[in-house]
Amino acid sequence: MIHSKRIRSTTSRYISRLLLAGFMLSATVASAVIHASTPADPFGSVMWKTMVDTYFTGGDVVFDQRVIVSAPKSAENQMHVPITVDATGLENVKQIVAVADLNPIQHILTVRPEQALSFIGFRLKLQQSSPIHVGVQTEDGTWHMGGALIDAAGGGCTAPAAAHSVSNWMKTLGETRALVRRDSKGDARMTIRMRHPMDTGLASGIPVFYMNKMVVKDDAGGVVAELDLFEPVSENPTITLKPSVGNESSVLKVSTRDTEGNEFAFPLSVPAVLAQ
Amino acid sequence: MKIESQQRRTLLKMLGAGCACCVCGSANARLLKYPLHATEIGSKTWAVHGESSHFNLENGGNIVNVGFVEVPDGVVVIDTGPSKRYGQALLALIEKTVPGKPILRVYNTHHHPDHCFGNQVFDPTLIAAPQGVIDNINEEGNAFADNMYRLVGDWMRGTAPVAPTVVLDAATEEVGGRQFSLFYLSGHTSADFVVRDDTTGILFSGDLAFLYRAPTTPHADIATWQAAIDSLGALDRDLILPGHGPSDSRGESLAQTSDYLAWLEDTLAGAVDSGLTMNEAMQLPIPDGFASLNVVREEFERSVVHLYPDLEDQLMPLIDVTR
Repeated sequence: MIHSKRIRSTTSRYISRLLLAGFMLSATVASAVIHASTPADPFGSVMWKTMVDTYFTGGDVVFDQRVIVSAPKSAENQMHVPITVDATGLENVKQIVAVADLNPIQHILTVRPEQALSFIGFRLKLQQSSPIHVGVQTEDGTWHMGGALIDAAGGGCTAPAAAHSVSNWMKTLGETRALVRRDSKGDARMTIRMRHPMDTGLASGIPVFYMNKMVVKDDAGGVVAELDLFEPVSENPTITLKPSVGNESSVLKVSTRDTEGNEFAFPLSVPAVLAQ
Repeated sequence: MKIESQQRRTLLKMLGAGCACCVCGSANARLLKYPLHATEIGSKTWAVHGESSHFNLENGGNIVNVGFVEVPDGVVVIDTGPSKRYGQALLALIEKTVPGKPILRVYNTHHHPDHCFGNQVFDPTLIAAPQGVIDNINEEGNAFADNMYRLVGDWMRGTAPVAPTVVLDAATEEVGGRQFSLFYLSGHTSADFVVRDDTTGILFSGDLAFLYRAPTTPHADIATWQAAIDSLGALDRDLILPGHGPSDSRGESLAQTSDYLAWLEDTLAGAVDSGLTMNEAMQLPIPDGFASLNVVREEFERSVVHLYPDLEDQLMPLIDVTR
């Protein structure tokens, strides 16, 4: 028993040394690339370089006014800080990645709008005042960046979810409210609100447990949008998307999954555009 | 030796002054002195009006109305301001206005920090409120204090939340030879306490009424608040001292607060039903009738965050989910 432990620890030391060497090598290469093409951060984030190295790789990084990030200047409730990203001015969008630079877990979500406008509304838990960066990657690999600075009192990620104040919160897990509307231009917009504690694992005594996947498909089974959600997304995730589904009425199919493998699926009717 | 120490003191003073200048902007902030002024709003009744703005480093949280009344045997105080330093300034102002009179009673209208964080300077056995207000101060006082230190900084030095020790539940109370009527309401928070001086008919409404200043909603239940405004409207009274804004002889504060809350609820319900995100709702236009209220855009944006989640839970249809 003692013997095998020693072997394991020697092996793991060896592996970690290998990993470290590999990491240092890749860090050197990556930083060379970054110095060539990373613009200064208008939000003055001390984490900017790390954010680019970690989340916005594989293409040039440019700040672009077509990435409109709406956020309050100050977090009224750091458990629910609303963000709306509108990048509908950009063509050929591959994915949208949102990060909170100074959160203990930075990656908020990634959305791939396959048959949807480049638009998303969501809410996040903010641990302290922080820059938010949103990268919109187009097919050519370029990251078009936008962002916001949000002032906050602190405590969003390490505070327990409100759900834990009631003992039977598992009963309502996955309970869903949703609506689909047409706006004045006829564009469809869907808002989904699902009960889930979205536990970060950072609140004392509460293990990590969050909804990590959401897929929206159209009538024919084609993917409308795919979302990877992470720990910072607020309790009871409330997501707004703009599916591109034409003017007729149709039925979207939404499926979600959490980190415990619970799966939830539901249909969502899209009304037709009213004839003028 | 003496000269040296004097020089050192002068030097320290200069450094101190220089340092304060860098940190703070205005003259008041540099001296950290609340410019409190007592306005006589009725017979032997004074209001201490705060600014119509948000908590900031310049005003030290002095955004609130406090009242005090000279009764035959002493003084009754309604609310105590945002900090220990404010409480001290208030005590000095009362002593200047009504010299030599003992303070007999201090009422807290509700638990928000701008209304009760001066409690510290008063004898705790004189501070009175309904049980709900006391519970709320005990539950949220420390978190409020953290946020107040963050928002107004050094003005808060030494301030700690102090809950009232006298639990009120009677309909009236006689203090120092004067009768006060006590009303137990809610809506702005889960416990809102209103005091009427039955001799002058002056109603101290706390934050159930605002005038020319947008109402705040962090703990609001709009329907309950509207019912509370209705019941205040039905009371005999000569004057209202609202929680924020000028004193009001025509009931304007009740009407204005009620109108604003009705508009707020309608507007946000409409926004939820249209599928707007919170950020989109925050940008909705504010009608002319409310556009002149102080800090209305900021308060509207805050209210979106306060009220949207509950409205979503009420208004968005429940969907059958397969698991």
